[in-house]
Amino acid sequence: MRSIKTIVIVIVALLALIVLSNTLFTVKETEQVVLTQFGKPVGRPITTPGLKMKVPFVQKVHAFEKRFLEWDGDPNQIPTKDKRFIWVDSYARWRISDPLLFFQRLHDERGAQSRLDDILDGETRNTIAKHELIDLVRSTNRPFVVAEDVAELSQPEAAERVEFGREKLTEEVLQNARRRTGDLGIEILDFRIKQINYVDEVRQEVYARMISERKRIAERYRSEGAGEAARIAGERERELRVIESEAYRAAQEIRGKADAEAADIYAAAYNRDPEFYRFLKSLGTLEESFDEETMLLLSTEGDLLRYLNGAR
Amino acid sequence: MEFNRSNIRRFRSPTVPRRLIGGLVLAVVALFVLFSTWFTIDPEEAGIVLRFGRFVRQVPSGLHIKLPYPIESVQKVPVERQLKEEFGFRTEEVGVGTSSTYSSEDLTAESLMLTGDLNVAVVEWTAQFRVRDPYKYLFKVRNVRNTFRDMNETVMREVIGDRSVNEVLTVGRQEIAAEVEQRLQQLCDQYETGIKVEQIVLQDVNPPDAVKPSFNEVNQAQQEREKMINQARADYNQIIPRAKGQAEQALEQAQGFATDRVNRARGDAELFVQVHAAYQRAPEVTRRRMYLETMSRVYPKVKKKIVLDDSVKGVLPLLSLENQTKVTP
Repeated sequence: MRSIKTIVIVIVALLALIVLSNTLFTVKETEQVVLTQFGKPVGRPITTPGLKMKVPFVQKVHAFEKRFLEWDGDPNQIPTKDKRFIWVDSYARWRISDPLLFFQRLHDERGAQSRLDDILDGETRNTIAKHELIDLVRSTNRPFVVAEDVAELSQPEAAERVEFGREKLTEEVLQNARRRTGDLGIEILDFRIKQINYVDEVRQEVYARMISERKRIAERYRSEGAGEAARIAGERERELRVIESEAYRAAQEIRGKADAEAADIYAAAYNRDPEFYRFLKSLGTLEESFDEETMLLLSTEGDLLRYLNGAR
Repeated sequence: MEFNRSNIRRFRSPTVPRRLIGGLVLAVVALFVLFSTWFTIDPEEAGIVLRFGRFVRQVPSGLHIKLPYPIESVQKVPVERQLKEEFGFRTEEVGVGTSSTYSSEDLTAESLMLTGDLNVAVVEWTAQFRVRDPYKYLFKVRNVRNTFRDMNETVMREVIGDRSVNEVLTVGRQEIAAEVEQRLQQLCDQYETGIKVEQIVLQDVNPPDAVKPSFNEVNQAQQEREKMINQARADYNQIIPRAKGQAEQALEQAQGFATDRVNRARGDAELFVQVHAAYQRAPEVTRRRMYLETMSRVYPKVKKKIVLDDSVKGVLPLLSLENQTKVTP
């Protein structure tokens, strides 16, 4: 009868094991659990991890994520208030804040995702349609830092002011969405716009505008270059004139002064005896101007030949 | 089958004691339990020990023991390794000593973004990060890497969206990287990702391909401008210093002339004064002497001399004046 006894022991042990394994269960760090009894939730949701107990067979474990979950929106084509068509791709962080409510209202994550799709896409669309594109792109009215060499070349674009800014807009979406998810057992923690892009036709227009702006800047550079070159050429011309004329003036002044001084010197000397000066000068002239071509008609009455007619 | 069954029966015959079988099973279980009580953590990792799914402790690298299998388990997180996410491009193979190869996939959706002046820029970047808090990294956020990518894209676009395209392409790079880094870290903390952002590296920042040529044109125009200005400066430098030298020369010449003129005047004056002094001592004689001396020097030079006497009349018709240049009475 030993063998029967052994068999009984083994069966009892097995049964005990099965019961035990249905009584004990682990809750992971990343989980929170709702227990149901014949489909009806019992007790408070279990949110702490570790080894837990339940009534075997009767109660069932429903585990839900405790971590922050992601919601990734599909890129949506949305018109802004200023009638620009853009693609908007957004994401949100959410978590199951009340597993019981979540279980009742949405049953599982897939249900939650599709509900979030509805809510967030709708709210995104609403908010964006109410605002201008610039409010979606910019966050603040921070002035652009402009490299000195392109200063004042591209100012017109910078003039657009932001009334709300991206942060306020996403905050608006978040608040509106939160209001609609309050009774679903989920909490949206954050909503952000991941990508904004122009639809293709608009993008081509923007490219064309960028190209024309660049061309304008390039033209500006070229004309700046030509202008500066002309200015330098003018400066060169002017300086040349200044230098030359000043040199001329100074030289003439020096010469003039020298002439005047010379004249004074001559006058001072010759004034001692103007008559004698005339005499000397005449002699000098006489000597200089006579050459072999000169013909002299000499009168014997003159001083030189006075004695030709005899020593009268 | 028949054969097998009979075989087992024979095996279970009283010759082999049942205790031995039980003992063997126990030994196997014991071995299994024993082997699951120790574990090693690599130098770059940290170990997270869970007891029935609950976090109990974090252990550094090295050899550690734990309670056996069903009770405690270990998760390893590479806390020391620098992790990297790429945006707008993907490195397919990191080249060692050679250049890396990049995926040719079109990732412009990731890198194309609107700037604050509603233009478009293509920004490619990498985010380098580490796991600072393994507990948060594992248990606070599901799909952390994906979340981190989303955060990166968002923050980069926020920062770029507040800058003009010029700023993004030229002066703003450093500042953009710094601001993204800071904001991203803030967001990482807010989301409890346990991630420490080490560095944001802006790779290529470009205008979109369609616009690139016109950006190059601007650069070219800038070069042209410099060239024109330099040419003008060269002309200037070629002419002005020379003119200055010439001006100097003219002044020197004038100075020379002046000195010359004054000295000559002084000389002439001195000569006159001296001669005059001598003359005053004997005016009549000196005067005559000077006159005659001069004449005696002049006369020999003149070839044609005609002497007129009052008593001789009518000589004029004989003179042929054609070749004469000077007549002195």
